Amino acid sequence: MLQALFPYSVALFFVGSILPLLADKPNESKLLRQAALACTAVASLLILALSIETIFSSQIYNLLIYQITPQFQFSFQIDKLAAYFLGLVTVVSIAVSIYSFQYIEHYSDERRKNLTVSLMGCFILSMILVIASFSMFSFLFFWELMALFSFLLVMVDHEKKETRKAGMFYFVMTHLSTLFLLFAFLFIYVQTGTLNILAVRADPLITSIAFVFLFLGFGIKAGIIPFHKWLPYAHSTSRSNISALMSGVMIKVAIYGLVRYILLLPLQTWWGMLILSMGTVTAVLGVIYALKEHDIKRLLAYHSIENIGIILIGVGLYIIFTLSGLQAVAFLALAGALFHTLNHAIFKSLLFMASGSLVNATGTRNIEEMGGLIKRMPKTALLFLIGAVSISALPPFNGFVSELMIFQAFMQSFALANPFLELLLIIALAIFALVSALAAACFVKAFGITFLALPRSHEAKEAKEPPKLMLLGPAVLALMCALLGVFSTQIFSLFGYTLPLPNMLFIGVVLAGFYAFAFLAMREVANRKERIAETWGCGILSQNAKMAYTASGFSEPIVTILKGIFRTQKKCEHTFHDPKNAVFKEGKAEIHLLNFFEERLYLPVAEFVQRVSSKIDKIQRGDVDLHVACAFVTIVISLLIIWWFG
Amino acid sequence: MNIFLLLVYGVVNLVFVVLVSPLFISLIKKVKARAQRRQGPPILQTYRNLVKLLKKETVYSENSSWIMRATPLVNLAAILTASLFVPLLVVPEPTDLIGNIILFLYLLALAKFFMALAGLDAGSVFGGMGSSREMAILALFEPVIIVVFAALAFAYKTVNIPDIFRGALASNVLVNPVMILIAASIFIVIIVESARIPVDNPETHLELTMVHEAMILEQSGKNLAMLELSSAMKQTLLMGVLINTLIPWGLATDFSAPAILFSLALFLVKAVVLAVAIGLFESSCAKYRLFRLPGLFAFALFLSIITLIIEVFA
Repeated sequence: MLQALFPYSVALFFVGSILPLLADKPNESKLLRQAALACTAVASLLILALSIETIFSSQIYNLLIYQITPQFQFSFQIDKLAAYFLGLVTVVSIAVSIYSFQYIEHYSDERRKNLTVSLMGCFILSMILVIASFSMFSFLFFWELMALFSFLLVMVDHEKKETRKAGMFYFVMTHLSTLFLLFAFLFIYVQTGTLNILAVRADPLITSIAFVFLFLGFGIKAGIIPFHKWLPYAHSTSRSNISALMSGVMIKVAIYGLVRYILLLPLQTWWGMLILSMGTVTAVLGVIYALKEHDIKRLLAYHSIENIGIILIGVGLYIIFTLSGLQAVAFLALAGALFHTLNHAIFKSLLFMASGSLVNATGTRNIEEMGGLIKRMPKTALLFLIGAVSISALPPFNGFVSELMIFQAFMQSFALANPFLELLLIIALAIFALVSALAAACFVKAFGITFLALPRSHEAKEAKEPPKLMLLGPAVLALMCALLGVFSTQIFSLFGYTLPLPNMLFIGVVLAGFYAFAFLAMREVANRKERIAETWGCGILSQNAKMAYTASGFSEPIVTILKGIFRTQKKCEHTFHDPKNAVFKEGKAEIHLLNFFEERLYLPVAEFVQRVSSKIDKIQRGDVDLHVACAFVTIVISLLIIWWFG
Repeated sequence: MNIFLLLVYGVVNLVFVVLVSPLFISLIKKVKARAQRRQGPPILQTYRNLVKLLKKETVYSENSSWIMRATPLVNLAAILTASLFVPLLVVPEPTDLIGNIILFLYLLALAKFFMALAGLDAGSVFGGMGSSREMAILALFEPVIIVVFAALAFAYKTVNIPDIFRGALASNVLVNPVMILIAASIFIVIIVESARIPVDNPETHLELTMVHEAMILEQSGKNLAMLELSSAMKQTLLMGVLINTLIPWGLATDFSAPAILFSLALFLVKAVVLAVAIGLFESSCAKYRLFRLPGLFAFALFLSIITLIIEVFA
């Protein structure tokens, strides 16, 4: 019933996107922006409602808009999987719209603010339409639109060099992704004569080629390592509401594509092994890079990479277990992966929005210059803490439940026939455990250094709590973190799934009960006297912020232990006054962090492309005649090829 | 599933863990003192310490926030919840409410997460260093813990701790080489998780060992009492996992008073032996440098992976 509202909500998105562009005067443009954001929020709410209805009723909604040929059509279909991902997109976009009401006003340029709001509506709409697309043609069309709108949003502050670099990186990588998808879809078209993935023959070679293209296409967009480099750049330089959408939602659209298209192909075990291995590597490197990051938004971006890895681990396990005939465990793994996709969307957007408030309040993204903010921004601190606890997979929050599902799938793999496959799983399990614990360590750092102890800069000392709506947006998501965790069992059974998981409601109640019990017992039994005193500093009389622990100090043990992965190079140069090197004159010491992937993979490839294109460039500079001649030769050669093969 | 019996189980297990845990702390101290030819504290000293701490005022740093106040409570709540998961005296009827291995481990992690935050809260260097090292050790040791418990889950084909104990009771454990390997790994888990030599030193918070004790340096009064008690309880729970998987005999399966009392007596004997073993082990080795720990952990990981491989290929 609600499904019929789909076109109207799409129209509402359009209205929301056009409104801010109509503004002339500053005072009316603020009103229009808010109207636009309200449109976006309401339209998202409508789509959320209709997707929940679709999941309950299992009715599939179809809509054909325009048809060029039967293969090339703009058609939409909302089934359970699409509805689930639509729900994910819209939940986050509602929260982000609420947040943006006041967040966007922090910036000064009126025109840019209007443009951001307008593009944000287009961006959300394009993600919704990608997910709702039925034909591959419209999928690819809206996929490209999504890439373009997000690129424009990254480039909003284009006068900064950092932003231009991020935008360039993103532009190239996202088109690489589109290119691979185009290859995949063309390949399927050439093989089957249709754009229907189900028509692909069950020939192992053909399906494998299609799989590799699809995996690369979706993998680049999802940010799997080594194709991840755009992600920390783009997600850290763009404005925080946009980062929340890109990191929380857009990379999940890639996961949607992966699940939608790859799982329809006749599966093969090595795909599962590949996805599992790539997922493991992505997760562990993602979190390790996050540990050394002190830029709060880049830290979060690296955690997105880590979580994409975790989701891929679940998908990989699903393929392996399905082909081994362990249906129940396979289902648990896939459900874990999909649930983690939703959970990550929620807590990552929450964290990005909270960090946006931090950045606005302190004027820096460097957590070393924050500190003590829990006293100045207590509500933001609480929201960030809920996000941190959820992403660190601590019970009873939602991140824990989905990681538990994947852990449990690992542990219940005892019936696997192939012992060597089992060995791979054991290694992946050990690394997965490492990832999950490192994430907790990283968020102790992120929360502790940002919010606890003393402020390390003047700005941090003066920081103020953001306005109400900037708290309400993340608060909606924080509430969902708790609800999706505590009521996980009830929610699964509401949708008709019974999974062998512990009842988190029971655990939540027991935890809260014991907390209250301990609190009351201490009030009765213990001495109630309290005293406020100085922090003990070995006799130092006045402690200051410089003495508190820093983020670099905090991650030092792990960075030292894992120095092989970080590839830190320490250089020391000394000069001396005398020949015997006794009297020190001056010296220089530096720690150089090698950006392994950037320096060894991206730049060489970029240089190669540059070289080739500079050669081609010479032809391009020629006059019109040369161009015409080239075109003529190309046509002749194409005709000859057709004649030869036809 | 009988709710009443489950409730009885919960109360019995909780009360037992709370009451008996400080005993093992002092016992290990006593063994270590004797190994150094000292008299050592009386066996009831830990109880007295807890009572003394409860009577003292609580001192908060002026820099600290509500994290400092909430942490001891969160810690105690998490460990109390976790102590429902490890049956020490009597195995409850099968239920999916309690006993999930991973949930058990993550409840311990929840406690640690907040303790590490509290370490940073006061802005003291000691606390920060303790938190940083504690989280580093936690992170690097997590693979070992998970793989050890996965080996247990593999061996008994269940992820539920009471079911594992029931499986251990039904099988002849000591002739199974896998179980001996697992026991060795769990022993290492106990050493690491209760912050003992060679990983950390529970006696001091001085520079060399600035880990756990440095992290809780700013805690005082009732808060310190709660943290001390929950550390002691965590140690007892892990000892219980080792005892009830390696030598489960005598563990009661029905709720009759004689069976539980017999099980209690037997558990105390086994746990005292284990505590003495821990004390002797601690006395016999030196503290590792922090950056040598990965080697130790790699050894433990190797041991537990070997265990799993034997299980898989057997």
